[in-house]
Amino acid sequence: MTDRILRLQHVEVRVPDLELCTAYYTEVLGLIETARTENQVFLKCWDEREHHSVILREAPTYGLDHMSFKVGDAADLDYFTEKLQAVSVPVKRYAARELGPGWGEAIRFDAPSGHVVELTHGTERVGNMLPMTNPPPRPQYLVGIAPPRLDHVFVMAEDVEAFTTFFIDVLEFRLTEQILANDGHQLATFLERSHTPHDIAVITGPNGGLHHFAFWLDDWNGIRDAADTLAYHGVEIDVAPTRHGVTRGYTTYFFDPVGNRNELFTGGYWVDPDFEPITWTEEEMGRAIFYYDRQVNERFFTVHS
Amino acid sequence: MGILRLAHVDVRTPDLDLSAAYYTEVMGLRQVLRTEDAVYLKCWDEEDHHSLRLRYEARTGLDSFTFRVEAEDDLHELEKRVEAYGCPTTRVSAGEAVGQGESVRFEVPSGQVMELVWDLEKTGNALGKHNPAPVPPPHTLKGIAPPRMDHMLVNAEEVGEANTFFTEVLGMRLTEQLLDGNGHQLGIWLAGRTNSPHDIAIVNGPNGALHHWAYWLDDWDHIRKAADTLAYNGVQIDQGPTRHGVTRGNTIYFFDPLGIRNEVFTGGYWVDPDTEIITWTEQEFGKGLFYYENVISQRFLRMHT
Repeated sequence: MTDRILRLQHVEVRVPDLELCTAYYTEVLGLIETARTENQVFLKCWDEREHHSVILREAPTYGLDHMSFKVGDAADLDYFTEKLQAVSVPVKRYAARELGPGWGEAIRFDAPSGHVVELTHGTERVGNMLPMTNPPPRPQYLVGIAPPRLDHVFVMAEDVEAFTTFFIDVLEFRLTEQILANDGHQLATFLERSHTPHDIAVITGPNGGLHHFAFWLDDWNGIRDAADTLAYHGVEIDVAPTRHGVTRGYTTYFFDPVGNRNELFTGGYWVDPDFEPITWTEEEMGRAIFYYDRQVNERFFTVHS
Repeated sequence: MGILRLAHVDVRTPDLDLSAAYYTEVMGLRQVLRTEDAVYLKCWDEEDHHSLRLRYEARTGLDSFTFRVEAEDDLHELEKRVEAYGCPTTRVSAGEAVGQGESVRFEVPSGQVMELVWDLEKTGNALGKHNPAPVPPPHTLKGIAPPRMDHMLVNAEEVGEANTFFTEVLGMRLTEQLLDGNGHQLGIWLAGRTNSPHDIAIVNGPNGALHHWAYWLDDWDHIRKAADTLAYNGVQIDQGPTRHGVTRGNTIYFFDPLGIRNEVFTGGYWVDPDTEIITWTEQEFGKGLFYYENVISQRFLRMHT
């Protein structure tokens, strides 16, 4: 009786300027620093109970180091190791805390797109910022945008169908929406484990690419407030507050100081395990991505990290 | 494996026309079927046949409430466990109930009739699966028009016993609890697999009673608009718009024309299966119920169906 993969646990991103990025993620985005190593900074959102959801690692280039999903039970790591090995995917195993402070027991492997995927269990619990007895609904004195939690990650792959098949067949994700080209092949897919429209999504692009990672906000008003905060701090806004057709979510996109794209997201809908996927056609791709604008800026397709 | 989410609530009404008028015109549900003695209703984003059945009967009351299980095999497993606990179960064959296949019914320890089902007739939401708009055509929406039902609250004389049944037998997860000075549970909030603070709550009160069921709205702004709609239509508001301490949700409580309490709800937080339980003490329960007012409303505690 296990839930297998529950949700996105964390992303580790490469940043060429660790101090600048730490200042941005803590002061503007409003995450909380929980640990440091020689070349990494560990961050979490205020309502997350575990040690980290974003890790910044100093590196000469930007982009995604890996993405990590939380599993419900430690035995799920064995279960997925066997499944992966059965389809000849090499798996590396790490003991708890071996990969860094607060880190759970983990396995790592490559997706067909070359992305490093981690599954983990037992990330150190540090609590959210509220007491467990008679808690107020939110902490006072939060800094910056202060989203309550990480929500999803969006990556790029040359072969979206191979990526999607791998996530569905091996990792047991469920397809919620897809954008199909006129010849019927998948241009983008949206996959979930958490009964939301997406925990991960993938769009056609270079293998290993990071399109963005997104934080949850409670509502559209929160997205508007966040845009004020971003503009005040001179953050480059990629897409001002608008709505997606896919996922029905509300969104704003922007870049961290070294060019990794961030998103703030709210909305969506409930997804049953036997949900019939939604299909968008190529002609309606503009509306699928930005429902009000009905067109997608070139930067959205071409700029990634 | 286990309980997924609330599927439908079945209630009795002595005035079927009046109740149906309220739920379609004010609440803004869609009538999907009317038989000689019953009206079946659903929200615009629900894919199942219905989420509410109103049945004519001289006295108002709760017929039953139905939860969907996570997979088909769970029905048999949970049936065995409920029997083993000492609650007799009844199988309802496919075709006996409108809009669903085989189900299992039993009385929970506090006397309400609960039903479990996997096979729900999927009739689709108002949007479809092909390049769907994020909302239904505006002229098709009336009243409050929530996208879906969210949770319910029933009463029990022995809340501790209800907790044992719902967590140990049905495998639901306790997220929050209200304790009296002696450490006895006066209220419990339980999640299925929705990762939300509650799919059902149980608060001390007479066995067999229904306290309310709730519809989801997307944000606080919709809660405010719902209050306008309720006031315009002369609906008796019980409490709100306000905020709960328990669940952190934003809320309004109000009564349907025959005195059944309804709620509109938004907010809450993400719940992992291993999240620690939040505890409310009796002296802080005013804030737990209504965080801004900090009062324990006797009407709220004593009025039920």
